[in-house]
Amino acid sequence: MMHSLIQLSIAVLLLPLLSFVVLIFFNRRLPRMGDFVGLGLVGSALAIALYIFWTVIVQHYDPAFRISWDFTWLDFGNVPGVGPLQVKMGIVIDNLTAIMLAMVSLISFLVHLYSTGYMDGDPKYGRFFAYLGIFTFSMIGIVLSDNLFSIYMFWELVGLSSYLLIGFYYYKDSAADAQKKAFLTNRVGDIGMWLGILILYSQFHTFGYKEIFEHIQNGDFHMSQAWLTAAGVLLFMGCVGKSAQFPLHVWLPDAMEGPTPVSALIHAATMVAAGVYFVARIFVILTPEALHAVAFIGAFTAFMAATIAITQHDIKRVLAYSTVSQLGYMVLGLGVGSYSAALFHLLTHAFFKACLFLGSGAIIHAMHHEQDMRWMGGLYKKMPWTFVTFSIATLALAGLPLTSGFLSKDAILAGALGFASVEGGGIYYLILVMGFAAAVMTAFYMGRQVWLVFFGESRTHLKPAEEHGHDAHASHGHGHDDHGHDSHGHHEVHEVSWNMRLPLVILASLSVFFVFSPDPLDGGKGWFMHLVQTPATVVSSGEGAQHHEGASLHAPEAGRLIAEAHTDTQHVNEPATHDTPVAEAAHGNEAQHGPVYADPRQAEIAHMTHENHYNAIKLSSLMLLIGISGALIVYVFRIIDPDKTAQSIRPLYLYSFNKWYWDEIYDTTVIKGSILVSKIFSWFDANIIDGIVNGVATVFRKFAFANGSFDKYVVDGLVNFTAFTVQTTGAVFRKIQTGKVQTYLVMIVVAVLGWFAFYLAQLMK
Amino acid sequence: MLMEQLLSIGVNHFLTISAILFSLGMFAVMTRKNAIVVLMGVELILNAANINFLTFSKYNGGMEGVMFSLFVIVLAAAEAAIALAIVINIFKTFKTVDVSSVDTMKE
Repeated sequence: MMHSLIQLSIAVLLLPLLSFVVLIFFNRRLPRMGDFVGLGLVGSALAIALYIFWTVIVQHYDPAFRISWDFTWLDFGNVPGVGPLQVKMGIVIDNLTAIMLAMVSLISFLVHLYSTGYMDGDPKYGRFFAYLGIFTFSMIGIVLSDNLFSIYMFWELVGLSSYLLIGFYYYKDSAADAQKKAFLTNRVGDIGMWLGILILYSQFHTFGYKEIFEHIQNGDFHMSQAWLTAAGVLLFMGCVGKSAQFPLHVWLPDAMEGPTPVSALIHAATMVAAGVYFVARIFVILTPEALHAVAFIGAFTAFMAATIAITQHDIKRVLAYSTVSQLGYMVLGLGVGSYSAALFHLLTHAFFKACLFLGSGAIIHAMHHEQDMRWMGGLYKKMPWTFVTFSIATLALAGLPLTSGFLSKDAILAGALGFASVEGGGIYYLILVMGFAAAVMTAFYMGRQVWLVFFGESRTHLKPAEEHGHDAHASHGHGHDDHGHDSHGHHEVHEVSWNMRLPLVILASLSVFFVFSPDPLDGGKGWFMHLVQTPATVVSSGEGAQHHEGASLHAPEAGRLIAEAHTDTQHVNEPATHDTPVAEAAHGNEAQHGPVYADPRQAEIAHMTHENHYNAIKLSSLMLLIGISGALIVYVFRIIDPDKTAQSIRPLYLYSFNKWYWDEIYDTTVIKGSILVSKIFSWFDANIIDGIVNGVATVFRKFAFANGSFDKYVVDGLVNFTAFTVQTTGAVFRKIQTGKVQTYLVMIVVAVLGWFAFYLAQLMK
Repeated sequence: MLMEQLLSIGVNHFLTISAILFSLGMFAVMTRKNAIVVLMGVELILNAANINFLTFSKYNGGMEGVMFSLFVIVLAAAEAAIALAIVINIFKTFKTVDVSSVDTMKE
């Protein structure tokens, strides 16, 4: 029997798909190109999603809430060499799903609304809404999936819709290149993810999360811990691609070629968060080694992207690198074991980053497609709504207390502190250092951005003419060319219309602390941290793994360890047992101590995280102060001239400005390498393969020639000989037939006489 | 003894006559060029056969041979009529009754 929430969630899933189908086929026949279809259907999806949110989060308010439903989608029976192959499709709704469902559909709806203003007048207006529909469908599919197979399907669908939307202005070379780059870069990660799925499948013959977790927990598998680590790291590769982590981060900044609402929806709030969401779903099977890899990649990404964001001129590029950096934070959070903090940051970041992107879209729209911050300035008087909302989101991103960003970022940094103190080694403090350094830089570059865009004098007229023409041409393109270059800048900059302002206001109001927690300094007291708790890991503990490194997990000792863990921590992720006394105790205490973990490493990290909470608050506030005051010193009071400073540290400046030269490095290594390899293969193909083919062809030609000769001389010879014989014989016998009756008569007589003679001779004997 | 047999008329005489007549007819059919003469040869052959019928009829005492010979006479008349018609047609076609020059059936 299907739970009514499951039925409703299917409706949420399918409504945006319906919007896509209707719009992609009929947008030209509908009035207003059918934007009301997209708005209406996604709006209904939002309403249902909010109802689910209300039921699950507000009414149940239970950390162990989980309902699921599945059906067998494909049954291949017993496949030789593989074993029973059954592919199931299913839906799981727990607290995280309900929250993500509401978040995705809300931002999607707001972006739909915003796009009615931003994309107005575009010739492919209707198609834009269709693409938004299929994106929303796939994203909700990822959120609802209860198994690796269906999440992979929706994962690829999301990649496709991202591809379509980045290349929405496909007639621009830069957009076409960016969409290809995004798709191919994602493909690299997806290959790894698929391999990881296959490793797990080869062991467990199921794709379901729950089944796999149970199998691992019960220890009924026959691979070493190293394989499990490999599976975890490979699955994480999917996240590296989709969530733009180093080394596959290069596509996300280029993806800003897409329309700005798309950047807000896909490349800031939802799709890039899918990687983080996926890692969270498989969190419990990640071994400590895999988690270390995750943590380091996240920390490095956060740090690197922040350094790049400082020097970019394009308003959207700053935000793009900021997104990469914040995604690095979330991945870092997962890596250090702060599961709920990372997901909390995912949620808060989704709102304020969507707000920032939509705000930047409003600015770009008002500035007539000017994206370079050097030529902006002084907009706070002209665009007060945008200014206020953008500033709130900026403060949230920078992590100012009283904002949502503070709560979540602080939770992650506390987790990193706890992690480093548990692991103990100096290298683990590097994660912490990179995290805090990124926090400083975040405050700095966001301060820089707000100042450059909103304060000071308008610098539109400072734009160099030739560059102006070039840029205008590049950034125009979709029906705005009629503005003309010379009219640029003479247009009055004005506040955007209500349908673009409303999403900004809603998103900004979701970026303050009381939405998430009653205590402006502690997210742990909020509903999110209560409902989304770090699940107990199902792999053996860090201690066990270190002592029995390389040993198979089903070795007796490890098995015993797991068995103990199983009996103690059943309540943490088992909905059926949430009313046991232990769970009750955890229930009552989690505000102070969080859940109880049997795994010693996890328990210690949780404990140390809690211990370090106030240290983290102090440290991160300090970092914020340093960053903001740095921005104030440089840009507001002009104590340090940014241009002169850039000149004096020119190599560093260029290193940052050119994005650490990752694109160039990839160009000379991976891309040139691929081209070289393809040339080698081309040569191999042209000379070896074709040689073999031609050799075989020659042999066959010779053989066929011999065969032909045989046919010509022997077979035909026999036929001709027969014909010749018959002809010769006929030539002899035709002489007999004279046509004269008398001749025949003579022959008859002779023959009769001859017969008589013979007969007589017989008689005589 | 031999003379006796030769002088007393018997089967052998008749058969000898018949054989001579047949041979003459056959000779005429094989050698003559004129179609009419060939027909005449055929008549000789038929009469030689008649003599044989009558001879055996007489010496065996049945009437079958007589009946056959009567049929043969009737048939010979019919045959002559048809054959002459054919000869007339041959003459119309080839402007000759020379059987050796009517050889369009060869090869």
